[in-house]
Amino acid sequence: MSVRVIVACGSGVATSQTVASKVNRMLKDKGIDAVVEAVDLKSVDRYMEGSAAYITIVKNSTEYPIPVINGIAFLTGMGKDQEFAKLQKAIEDYQKKKIL
Amino acid sequence: MQALASVVNFFLGLGAAVFVPIIIILAGLFVRMKVKDAISSGITLGVAFSGMTMLINYMTGVITPAAESMLKFTGINLPITDGGWTTISTISWSWPYAFLMFPLVIGINILMLVLNKTDTFNADLWNVWGKIFTAVAAYYITGSVVIAFVIAAIQVVFELKIADFHQYRITDLSGIPGVTCTHKMTFLAAPMYIVDCALRKIPVLNKSFNAKDLRDKLGIFAENHVLGFLLGILFGVLARYDIAKILTMGVQCSTALTLFPVISKYFSQALEPISNALSEYMQAKFSGREMYIGLDWPFMGGASEIWLVIILTIPVTLLMSFFLPGNQILPFAGIVNIAIAVPAYLVCKGNVVRMWIECVVFTPIFLWVGTAFAPFMTELANSTKAVELASGQMISNSSIDAPIFTYAFSHAAKVIQGDFIPLIILLAWLVCFVLYSRALIKEKKEALAKGSA
Repeated sequence: MSVRVIVACGSGVATSQTVASKVNRMLKDKGIDAVVEAVDLKSVDRYMEGSAAYITIVKNSTEYPIPVINGIAFLTGMGKDQEFAKLQKAIEDYQKKKIL
Repeated sequence: MQALASVVNFFLGLGAAVFVPIIIILAGLFVRMKVKDAISSGITLGVAFSGMTMLINYMTGVITPAAESMLKFTGINLPITDGGWTTISTISWSWPYAFLMFPLVIGINILMLVLNKTDTFNADLWNVWGKIFTAVAAYYITGSVVIAFVIAAIQVVFELKIADFHQYRITDLSGIPGVTCTHKMTFLAAPMYIVDCALRKIPVLNKSFNAKDLRDKLGIFAENHVLGFLLGILFGVLARYDIAKILTMGVQCSTALTLFPVISKYFSQALEPISNALSEYMQAKFSGREMYIGLDWPFMGGASEIWLVIILTIPVTLLMSFFLPGNQILPFAGIVNIAIAVPAYLVCKGNVVRMWIECVVFTPIFLWVGTAFAPFMTELANSTKAVELASGQMISNSSIDAPIFTYAFSHAAKVIQGDFIPLIILLAWLVCFVLYSRALIKEKKEALAKGSA
């Protein structure tokens, strides 16, 4: 089964889905078996369990139980590659943890 | 010529779920997408349209009888179903000229960057539909596609300008450098600024308090499934249904609100490759120039104040909809009113009390404008078959973005028929806009002077 990554925005429709589609394309190009799912910011806590990383498009002060990736980078194009590398690592770590 | 007209009519006659995907496939090939990706996008868009039709029919089928029964027992007459922004964006995309808005938005942005009239590059090509929406209304008022696009062009210019003016404050509030908000919902901040000037004179209203704790406690009420259930129960009680029917109504309304974002996602999914290609083209073109990136509002969604005020505005909207003279819309899918809370947040800089007062003051405008736009939206939905409504059913949105601007600019041409009101509102908005932008410029200058001293 593919690894799940979540991204959230206000309605879980527009911005988050834009980031999700973009990152999904990047993952596919690299041949990484993971799927980014867009969710509603109001319900984001319900999705933490079972996700490898959380791509956020807001500035958070809250601590999350899973690695947090800066989603703004994917929207503006600036620093996109570093954030993608971070995501890649989070997915690898998650897969390793699951095998153990 | 006649052959061309009949070809065009044939395509339009196929309905939005077929002709819009055809357009997006062509547009996708034009921006050099791979054939298989373009086709995939097109079919996804078809799925989005059909899915929305299904869902909107389901929703109106649930709400309309309850609204009729409410009228019978309580005398409250609210015949317009509130489909929220997802419904209205679906209908907007089905306008036959909708896709011409992409070159218009990008063309104006490039021109203004080249001429140094803006520092913002609008990367939010999803909200192209907001321009289409204004254009559709102007088209129905004037019957002229050209005027519709001129008004949309004016909107694009204002969006870039307000994004320029807001940039400093938005970075300050959100903590994210280099970005600003180009969404037209921020236009409402201009008239809100005038109200805020008055509110700030009252010392009690300058208190700040922690919004996060309250939001964490109340947050569940704004989650779609819970909110939908509660609204359904309320409508069922007002319609004097029996217990079984009230509970059924609750679950049905919850179903509608839960599924709207699920289906709307397919729109973003289908349109993302095109907007991404265009956005990368723009970024490459202006790679040397320092710019702010204009985004949709959600990057500010981390602010608890916004969510708290949205939740506290829900009961206000409901109550007002029952008693406000001239309102005919029953708030439902649009009741989570982001379009009122975000500009209030920007104007009041997160002061929850003043934000909420702004929301109370401006809620009637959303209800009136939602009522005023119902005829166009219903007619366009029926004529493009974007959403198939039963005869006599009306649809609109109770939280139309930038209600004052959108109403005034799209209706301004009514002056020819001797109706001066939209034009007067337009001028009043302009005055507010000028005053507000001056305040924002002053704030930035003062902060920069302080920083360098």
